[in-house]
Amino acid sequence: MKLRFDESVESFRAELLGWLAANRPSAEEMAADPSVSTGHAPAWARRWTRTMFDAGWLVPGWPPELGGRNATPTQTLVYLEELARARVPRTSNVQGLGIVAPSIIDYGTPEQIEQYAMAILHGEATACLGMSEPDAGSDLASLRTRAVRDGDHFVVDGQKVWTSGANYADFCFLFCRTDPDVPKHKGISILLVDMDTPGITVRPLPEIVHPDHPDLNEVFFDSVRVPADRLVGELGAGWAMANGSLAHERGMVWVSAVQGIEEALARLLDEAPATTATLPPTEQALANDRIVQVAIDATAARCLGYRAFAKLARGGTAPEQALMKLFSSEVRQRVAEVAAEVQGPDALVTGEVAFDGHQAIDEPQGTWLEQYFQSFANTISAGTSEIQRTIIAERVLGLPREPRPT
Amino acid sequence: MDLELDTDQQELRDHARSFLADSCPPSLVRDLFEGRVIEGRVVEGRVVEGRGPADSGGLWSAMVELGWPALAAEVDHGGLGQGFVAEAVLASELGRVVAPGPYLATVTQFAPVLVAAGAAELLGRVSAGDLTGALALGAADASARADGDGWTLDGVKTHVLDGASAEEIAVVARLVGSRGHEGVGAFLVPRAAVAVEPLTVIDPTMPLATLRLDGVEVDGARVLLDPRDPASFDALEHVRRHATVAMALSGVATCRAIVEATVSYAKQRHQFGRPIGSFQAIKHRLADLYLAVERADALAWYAAVCLAEDDARLPVAAAMAKAALGDCQRLATRDGLQLHGGIGFTWEHDLHFLLKRATTTAFLLGGAEHHRAELARHLGLVA
Repeated sequence: MKLRFDESVESFRAELLGWLAANRPSAEEMAADPSVSTGHAPAWARRWTRTMFDAGWLVPGWPPELGGRNATPTQTLVYLEELARARVPRTSNVQGLGIVAPSIIDYGTPEQIEQYAMAILHGEATACLGMSEPDAGSDLASLRTRAVRDGDHFVVDGQKVWTSGANYADFCFLFCRTDPDVPKHKGISILLVDMDTPGITVRPLPEIVHPDHPDLNEVFFDSVRVPADRLVGELGAGWAMANGSLAHERGMVWVSAVQGIEEALARLLDEAPATTATLPPTEQALANDRIVQVAIDATAARCLGYRAFAKLARGGTAPEQALMKLFSSEVRQRVAEVAAEVQGPDALVTGEVAFDGHQAIDEPQGTWLEQYFQSFANTISAGTSEIQRTIIAERVLGLPREPRPT
Repeated sequence: MDLELDTDQQELRDHARSFLADSCPPSLVRDLFEGRVIEGRVVEGRVVEGRGPADSGGLWSAMVELGWPALAAEVDHGGLGQGFVAEAVLASELGRVVAPGPYLATVTQFAPVLVAAGAAELLGRVSAGDLTGALALGAADASARADGDGWTLDGVKTHVLDGASAEEIAVVARLVGSRGHEGVGAFLVPRAAVAVEPLTVIDPTMPLATLRLDGVEVDGARVLLDPRDPASFDALEHVRRHATVAMALSGVATCRAIVEATVSYAKQRHQFGRPIGSFQAIKHRLADLYLAVERADALAWYAAVCLAEDDARLPVAAAMAKAALGDCQRLATRDGLQLHGGIGFTWEHDLHFLLKRATTTAFLLGGAEHHRAELARHLGLVA
């Protein structure tokens, strides 16, 4: 147990900070042309991805040929923290760099790696993740979009929904059913589908805040012909790959969420004395108490993340990991909720939305109340909070599964 | 920041856990709750001579034999120099099994005052297991008057842990007429010199007493922290934080034991043809309870490392740890009892030992609201 990392990690940090200072995009450059969707990479973001790749800073844990420097897990953790602290995005295409590229590298053919994964790593392409459907949300394995083999092509028909960044992405990492006659987890495969293929219709779904900058979409597939060599991994192995791909940078996905919480909390602590100055003392004390409670949550989130990380870094398992998604998304929501309520009716005034580009577009931004509404993206997507609680109860606490309806 | 025990610390935890499983079984705790005399109890196959009423069946004697009071203490103080993380490991293992005895009061509350005072000789006796002590905090409750070379103390100290059994009490008192950070000091008072009223409390493993000081005369050699020294206030704040962090660690471990007991019960108990733990209503409550324990536990260990490394973040970390213990105790007590149903409501079941211990640790040394108010100041929300 110790508060500081050892020398080798600190010298890694120093090297990174020196390189960032010399090479990072400026705040002005980012704000002038911010990303407006997780599938949208403005010109500066594409250059920045390439610059990081060439210098081995894009995915530090990978070897140099994949844009890394064989960094240790602890070094990678420090890297993620320092990028967030410097308010530089690692990428605007979070799902492309975080899930799609690593999955293709793990399971794809050399041609797929070259054409699709490397394009993401070079900043030349963005990807979206075609998972949820109207009748397959939390129960993803029930998805019905089907791909039928026809000669040297698959023909895809169906509909995806909540597809982040599909309105800008160059290709889709598409989960589809290739065998309707086997148990539902076994008939799912993954295809790489170019978004400009005929038969694809993308309909953006403006959200409850910032409707001018939709990130979520419905995607319709109508007899879309996809070359058979775009099948990733084995036919029918899509479900296993979906689970495997989430293990990339294992134990570190919490870093940006916690940094987002801390950034929001710092702003709240900074504003609060002025906001509450005119309140009667009792009301002020009640407001302060609520702020303190989220401050405790924020510190706890970081401590839980570090502890999970320490356990994984020692080769063990970390039940805390299962908690991080639930806890960090709910804390982020509480920070915005408390901040808006402390503001009172002033919270109702919406301003001009000015994204400054330093966060991915799916992070809560704007006024406190807008942040509050937007924070539900993270308590609903990627497994709702309710699903997370069930996962914690069953996989961490070992409680018996609910009997399947007969 | 590395918030996981290293190999030596894990080994200490495993040893402590296996020792306590043998030496502090629920039957020992039950003996205490049911008021049976348990001195001279057989421990590990041999009769151990008791060390007084706080010895609880020779448990303390056995801990002394293992060197536990010396483990964290500095080598200059007769200790083994393993630092606060080792102390934290023991405090939490004791909380896990609701262990009675002088460890919390003597090692985590009394000894830190001696450290602040540089009282090496007394610390040597604590490390050797030859001296037990208690800490009577709260400067507002007692006054100190200079009297020649010595001092005269007056006042009433409430809820003093081990106040009726400790040999020496570190009494915090304030110079007559002083205010704020000025005039606060600590004095070493033999228990025999004060009027002790043991309280009948809900958890006999954490015995509390009221101490009445009625013109108690203390000679100059027994001043631990001189009230005329402006540094004494901060020194006592550090002592209070040390005690608070240890209490938080111990209490969270008790809460974790409640979660484990409740999860295990939910797997065994069947209703409507299935384990009650398969119902989502139960699952989600247990997931939230588990989260509350992990939250408090992570904060308690963070505070422990801040204390061990003498880091400037200690005041915030300690207050957060104790506030989070309060949150998790409230949930653990409520849901632990509720989800056990009728059986957990019976005296015969061991669950209530855990519930009462957890509640005691949460309420002593400032509850959640107290520490949140302190945090509001630390975080700059109020002056």
